[in-house]
Amino acid sequence: MTKNAIEIHKLTKKFGNFTAVDNLSLNVKEGEIFGFLGPNGAGKSTTIRVLCTLAQPTSGYAKIAGFDLVKESDRVRENIGLVAEKMIMYDRLTAAENLRFFGKLYDIPKQKLEGRIDELLELVDMQKWKDTQISKFSTGMKQRINVIRALLPEPKILFMDEPTLGLDPQTTFSIRDIIRDINKSGVTVILTTHAMSEAEALSDRVAIIDHGKIAALDTPENLKKLVSSSDNTVFGIKITNLTSELIEKIDALDCVTTLAQQDHHNLKISANGTNAMDRIIDTIRQEGGSIASITNSTESTLEDVFLAVTGKQMRDEASEKASPAHHGHGNAPKARVR
Amino acid sequence: MDVTKILKDSYHVMAKDLLELKRNRMSLAALFLMPLLFLVMFGFIFPTGTTQQHMPMGLVNLDQGQGSNEFIAQLEVMNKNTSFMDFQSYSSVDDAKTAINKGRIYGVFIIPPGFSENITNGKSADFTVYIDNSNPQSAMQIQQVLSTTVSGMNNMKAEANVVQLGSETNQPVNPQTMIFPYIPNVQTTIPGETNYFNFLAPGLMIMIVMMSVMTGIPEAISKEKEMGTFDGMLSAPISQLSVIIGKTAALCTRGFIQCIIILAIAIFLFGVTIQGNILLAFFMLLLGIFSFIGIGIMAISMSGDQASGTMIVNLLMFPMMFLGGIFYPIQQMPWFMQAISQVIPLTYAADAMRKIMLLNAGIGDVMTQILILVAFGVVTMTIAVPLFRKSMTR
Repeated sequence: MTKNAIEIHKLTKKFGNFTAVDNLSLNVKEGEIFGFLGPNGAGKSTTIRVLCTLAQPTSGYAKIAGFDLVKESDRVRENIGLVAEKMIMYDRLTAAENLRFFGKLYDIPKQKLEGRIDELLELVDMQKWKDTQISKFSTGMKQRINVIRALLPEPKILFMDEPTLGLDPQTTFSIRDIIRDINKSGVTVILTTHAMSEAEALSDRVAIIDHGKIAALDTPENLKKLVSSSDNTVFGIKITNLTSELIEKIDALDCVTTLAQQDHHNLKISANGTNAMDRIIDTIRQEGGSIASITNSTESTLEDVFLAVTGKQMRDEASEKASPAHHGHGNAPKARVR
Repeated sequence: MDVTKILKDSYHVMAKDLLELKRNRMSLAALFLMPLLFLVMFGFIFPTGTTQQHMPMGLVNLDQGQGSNEFIAQLEVMNKNTSFMDFQSYSSVDDAKTAINKGRIYGVFIIPPGFSENITNGKSADFTVYIDNSNPQSAMQIQQVLSTTVSGMNNMKAEANVVQLGSETNQPVNPQTMIFPYIPNVQTTIPGETNYFNFLAPGLMIMIVMMSVMTGIPEAISKEKEMGTFDGMLSAPISQLSVIIGKTAALCTRGFIQCIIILAIAIFLFGVTIQGNILLAFFMLLLGIFSFIGIGIMAISMSGDQASGTMIVNLLMFPMMFLGGIFYPIQQMPWFMQAISQVIPLTYAADAMRKIMLLNAGIGDVMTQILILVAFGVVTMTIAVPLFRKSMTR
């Protein structure tokens, strides 16, 4: 039986009246890549911060690499690496100076530290930038240094908060490769993401987190089966004359489990029952809606899973900002303020 | 966590901060320019104790007798040594007054008709000095110069008279003891000539270090907090104390560099002489930093972000600057201001610095100040450090 790298028991973190992490319990196995998937403000980052001893839990406890989060926080810190959402680097120092500074904080002997720096720079193919100031780097280059910075003390567990946020596709892929390599060398990786594809591509197991609670937790494959195996159908529908009254009518049908408005014309509907799709189409026709197209996803994605378990559409920040007018409609996710 | 590890980590944090400073040309320039600007500003703006020279003065002689000519000749001789005034003759009082109104002269000596006659008849020879006091500063100076010059001339006249009287009555007299039986012998605590700068420099040193550290702490901490680099330090196995100590040490180093600049400018540009023990002075600086660093840490712990942290610090710093006795002696302030200045650590630090640097005071002489500063530091730090820790793991 494999040991648990992380054991979380009824962990809660409150900021005043707002509960960011709500009674969270889960175990992460050693050597796993574990993904927290959820929209912005779901509590992913706060969970990571608590697990990295950067924030005190309000209640509950957790063991990281066998050490108590609160009582043995120093031992916890010796065993973890953190790639936070904001890059942990000083712009005016060179790559090597940054790595050296953080290495020294872990009390790594000087000679070993220099060797480790060279080794890690090689891992991300950045040797020739060793003595260049960080400020001259592109975002992708910075993130590579940021990732190896977390690896300096040879941590047992690596926490990564949105490791590919804001990177171009090419860099994203190379960072993902690095994450896989790190994991292969035996490091347990905990990552948060709001990108479905990332969670799917990297994680051994995914916890879908919403409002600080786990909505579902399993391997990506099993999560997807959750949606497609039942008599649940998820499909997209394009209605040229979509109105909010029409959305309300569709949403009121008992066969519709969840409904999300994607833009001016497109809806994504998750429905239950054998003739669910017929009933929905009938309703739309009765209300005078004209259907332009229906897309039935043959294979469900984590996005569908998310829709099914949280009743909400998963959107990233960019598209939320692009269509603020639709926030009031249907079950579209509302931006929450942390 | 053991002390060596805390100190070692503090050193790493300090070294990192200084390296960052070294790379930042702008803040490096500011580091050197700030004390320079402060010193030059305060050094030249404030009255230095020397009187203005070559003040243009008018001269109207309505008498034209022997006595008045003698008087003017003596006045010019007296003025020759000091060159406080430059004289210009006018034929009438109206001409001179016009010149005053046009701003050409600061004032005018008016010698009335009958001046010489009064002297020869043994009467007092009155004359008028008409001064433009629309500029109070130069009006005051002219009055000072006038009274010293005139009393000098009176002395000369008196001496001559006494000698003459003595020879007439055949009595040997010493005119000096006759006219001035009381002679004060003034000795000052600081040998040599002193100016406002002597008073200013020690206080300014401690004030600049205070400003450096107090504004620096919220800036240094919240910058890292906002950049996210703080999480990197705090997720490493180091004590939060190391972060505080390291950052403070880096700021102290900055402050010390500035102090050395101040000292150099004070000595070479303004002729300040240091009487006391420089090492003791630097120890005092360090103690001063310790006494107000807690306030800076409290400010940042309570505010959270850089803007409000700096605002709180500025709010606290301004009264300290003016009530700490840096620019004006506390004794000259009204009683309620004096009361406030008693609770400002800077007051004690500046006082002790002045005593050490100017009066060559030993450690025993400033023990009261030292104890007060230590108490200040201990109290503020006991409040600040837990606050800081709490704010870090919020």
